[in-house]
Amino acid sequence: MAETSKVLDVAGVSKRFGDIEVLSDVSFQVDKGETICVLGPSGSGKSTLLRCINWLERPDAGQIYLNGERIGINNAGIVMGDRELSKIRTRIGMVFQHFALWPHLTVLQNLMEAPVQVQKRPKAEVYDEALALLAKVGLSDKRDAFPAKLSGGQKQRVGIARALAMRPDLLLFDEPTSALDPELVGEVLVVMRDLAREGMTMVIVTHEMAFARDAATRVLFLDRGRAVETGSPDRFFSNPETERARQFLQRYAGDTANNKR
Amino acid sequence: MSGGDIAAIFQGAIVTVTLSFIGILIGLPIGLGLALLRWANVPFAAKVVTLYVSILRATPLVTLLLLLFFALPNIGVPINPISAAILALVMNTSAFNCEVWRSALMNFPKDQYEAAQSVGMTAEQRFRRIVLPQIVRVSLPGLVNEMSLLIKVTPVLAVVGVVDITRAAVRIGAQTYEPLPPFLVAVALYAPIVFALVSLQRWIERRQVAAEAAA
Amino acid sequence: MIHDFGIVWGERALLLSGLVNTAILSALSAVAALLLGFIVTPALMSKRPAVSGAARLFVDGMRCVPFLLFAYIVYYGFPSFGIRLDNWTSGLAALTIYNAAYMAEILRGAWAVQPREPIEAGIAFGFSDIRLFRRIILPPLLLSAGPVIGNQMIQIIKDSAFLSIIALPELTHAASSIQSRHYVPFAAFITAVFLYWGLCLIIEAGVGSIGRVAEARR
Ligand SMILES: Nc1ncnc2c1ncn2[C@@H]1O[C@H](COP(=O)(O)OP(=O)(O)OP(=O)(O)O)[C@@H](O)[C@H]1O
Ligand SMILES: [Mg+2]
Repeated sequence: MAETSKVLDVAGVSKRFGDIEVLSDVSFQVDKGETICVLGPSGSGKSTLLRCINWLERPDAGQIYLNGERIGINNAGIVMGDRELSKIRTRIGMVFQHFALWPHLTVLQNLMEAPVQVQKRPKAEVYDEALALLAKVGLSDKRDAFPAKLSGGQKQRVGIARALAMRPDLLLFDEPTSALDPELVGEVLVVMRDLAREGMTMVIVTHEMAFARDAATRVLFLDRGRAVETGSPDRFFSNPETERARQFLQRYAGDTANNKR
Repeated sequence: MSGGDIAAIFQGAIVTVTLSFIGILIGLPIGLGLALLRWANVPFAAKVVTLYVSILRATPLVTLLLLLFFALPNIGVPINPISAAILALVMNTSAFNCEVWRSALMNFPKDQYEAAQSVGMTAEQRFRRIVLPQIVRVSLPGLVNEMSLLIKVTPVLAVVGVVDITRAAVRIGAQTYEPLPPFLVAVALYAPIVFALVSLQRWIERRQVAAEAAA
Repeated sequence: MIHDFGIVWGERALLLSGLVNTAILSALSAVAALLLGFIVTPALMSKRPAVSGAARLFVDGMRCVPFLLFAYIVYYGFPSFGIRLDNWTSGLAALTIYNAAYMAEILRGAWAVQPREPIEAGIAFGFSDIRLFRRIILPPLLLSAGPVIGNQMIQIIKDSAFLSIIALPELTHAASSIQSRHYVPFAAFITAVFLYWGLCLIIEAGVGSIGRVAEARR
């Protein structure tokens, strides 16, 4: 593969569950340092798209490349085994809607677990980095707390720090703020905005229109499994091309005005 | 193994079921009484009950049975195998029933009790008309579970010479030099009894869940 | 009466070896039953009806059979297949197989209430196979099943007393020997009862500390 600034290349991905086609022929690319917000109504396949990218869900058709390297199918053209997939997955960080922290580990241990156990990096190095990440998300004082003792906003900031501890090439977010009480959403968005500014490459599924509008470099609008529209947030929000996108935005119009932060 | 042998094992089954039934019948109210002593925190008595339950929960029925059967005559209380068996079953099951009752009592909503108080019911009325009907309902699956556990330990009664299913099976095995068949017959008798109780327990649980969902 | 306890004290070596045997027997079969449970549990949840049906039959079957009868069947049954077992081995086998059914059911229950997302996160972060199971799935599973497993261990200790009937030299058997040798039934059996109680208190203390550990991590 030629040297390229493309971190992620999704080409013609389709996925069906039984009779329903959840993703049909979805293609998009993400350049290094971009923040792509994936928008779309409930059930349009946003989560499935993210899960296909790191092969938590196996796509039925299409190709996915991370920095030019094919995910899920190896050079011999065979579907990768768990081990091979694990290797690639360590380069893609993921942040979950319901945090998905490991309940039996402290905050610091949550950050160190995969870098030490999976990536086999030296413990001392990972430790220093984990402390720095906790400081970055403002949770240095919670390093020895168990997840159960944290608020939702704190949990999600740990979730983000845990993903960053892997030094990923790409970060995936699946509705990172929709399980949070409204007053806790802000503290998580602040962290994500900082990451966008620092040039982290991210794909973010979200219903926070205000955030998408001012933090995204591009938005991708998904409707019934199709990538209907993609473009700059300014164009998408002020002048969407399709009727579906217009309807979708109308429904969120009030939301956008109220949540402008 | 002859037809007569099988009939002997059947007779043993009747003894087993009868003894279990008597044990449950006596153990149930005693368990409730003990639970009430703990719940009401009666001075001294509550502590004794706690200790009793803790020890009895840890004591294997065989050991308890041997203790009663051999030690009671030793201190001047004559006891026959049947009485020793019933006493051991009652002591064992009352300790476990006490725990089931107690947890139902602990979870009983306090405001209902206070509501009964506020309409002027006496303590006895409050217990009999408000508390008891509800804790019986809550405790039922646990109590049925306890019954199936009790039946499963009854083979031990054979140790002191009660001619129950197991003793009949052991005896036939010794006579015929084929120990396995009588034990299989014994299992074939026990399994449906226990299975019926386990199914009853599941049925009650399902019905209660359904009733709650409907409410 | 004091004199009787003096006699029991004189036989303390016998009693101690019975206690040690009970402890070893229970500990070994608890661990083995738990490990077997880890094999039976996935079978219980298998999508293939033949596999899940067979596992269900085993688990429900064990629940319906009294342990003593099962022990007799193992003790007398294996020889009729030409397998000779001493009473130690057959006692251990009976305890293990019987309680594996209960452990499997306990683990299935604990597994059913485990949240899926942390496991999915484990996969997304590159865990797979044994490492996923050992580091991500197992610890919370054991923490949540801990108290029930502890209860089952108490049950195993009590079941092991049945094995005195097949002349396995455990605690109740030791007490029986002392009582028949010296005719001190009360002192012999009450001592055994208190020793059983002690074992259970130790387990309950262990369960209590697991419970506290689990509480912080819930
Ligand atoms: N494992 C699965 N098996 C069957 N159907 C599934 C599965 N996962 C998702 N679906 C279906 O696929 C469709 C898309 O689901 P997906 O979760 O990707 O939507 P979404 O855009 O993330 O929605 P939301 O905004 O509600 O999270 C839905 O109709 C869903 O019911
Ligand atoms: Mg979703």
